[in-house]
Amino acid sequence: MDVLWLVLAGLGFAALVVGLRRFISGFKPASIGERLPATPLQRLGVAGLWVTSLVSLGLVMLLILNGAEGVFDNDVPRYLFWLFLLVGMAAWFTVWRSVSRATGRAVVDERDRDILARSFTVESLIVILSLVAWVIGLTEAYRDQGAVPLDYLQLLFWSTFILGAFGRSLGIVLGYHREPAPDA
Amino acid sequence: MPKAQIGNEMRKLRFEHDEMTQQELAERVGCTRQTIILLEQGRYVPSLSLAFRISRVFGQTVEDVFRFDEE
Repeated sequence: MDVLWLVLAGLGFAALVVGLRRFISGFKPASIGERLPATPLQRLGVAGLWVTSLVSLGLVMLLILNGAEGVFDNDVPRYLFWLFLLVGMAAWFTVWRSVSRATGRAVVDERDRDILARSFTVESLIVILSLVAWVIGLTEAYRDQGAVPLDYLQLLFWSTFILGAFGRSLGIVLGYHREPAPDA
Repeated sequence: MPKAQIGNEMRKLRFEHDEMTQQELAERVGCTRQTIILLEQGRYVPSLSLAFRISRVFGQTVEDVFRFDEE
């Protein structure tokens, strides 16, 4: 039974990665005549989407296989949980370093700064929606007991942290995808 | 209020300045090549500061490089 679950989880993970790849590659900036080269910030945005999505998928699968409380009560799933987070952060840092090196002095111009500022809207929207979902979900699930297990505080914090980074990356990628307004 | 667009002579001026590449111009004015491409296509309106920097690279006034097209 365990092997079947692992195989199904592996297949589900592969399907999600393929779907994610299609979703992310759909955000290529629109261009007229010539293909637009990606800016350093845009590459970081795409990398951020990949890193946060893969870390989220890994953590969600861990939670599905062990249950929310089982992850923190047992050593192996708990270490795997921390490992996913640390590997995700290390991957993000590596991508950031390689993008900076590849582009020499990473240029962030006025258009990039504008896109970066607008991406905060997407980030805050996703974070607020996530907090609303957590508050409603936990309140309804544990209303009778009158207390929420401490493990959910961990999940609440880390999910908000990852979704915030995902939202910021999505906001950046969407910002480049959107047609810039040429009107003066 | 009538719609207006900011047109420019950047592509022409680049070729008149030893066929300067978009990357070279981007590096000289401190922006990305993507921004230069969008500017040349008339799909991005630069800030006043960027417009001045671009004009100075070509040794022109802002009005010689950029024009205000009112429909």
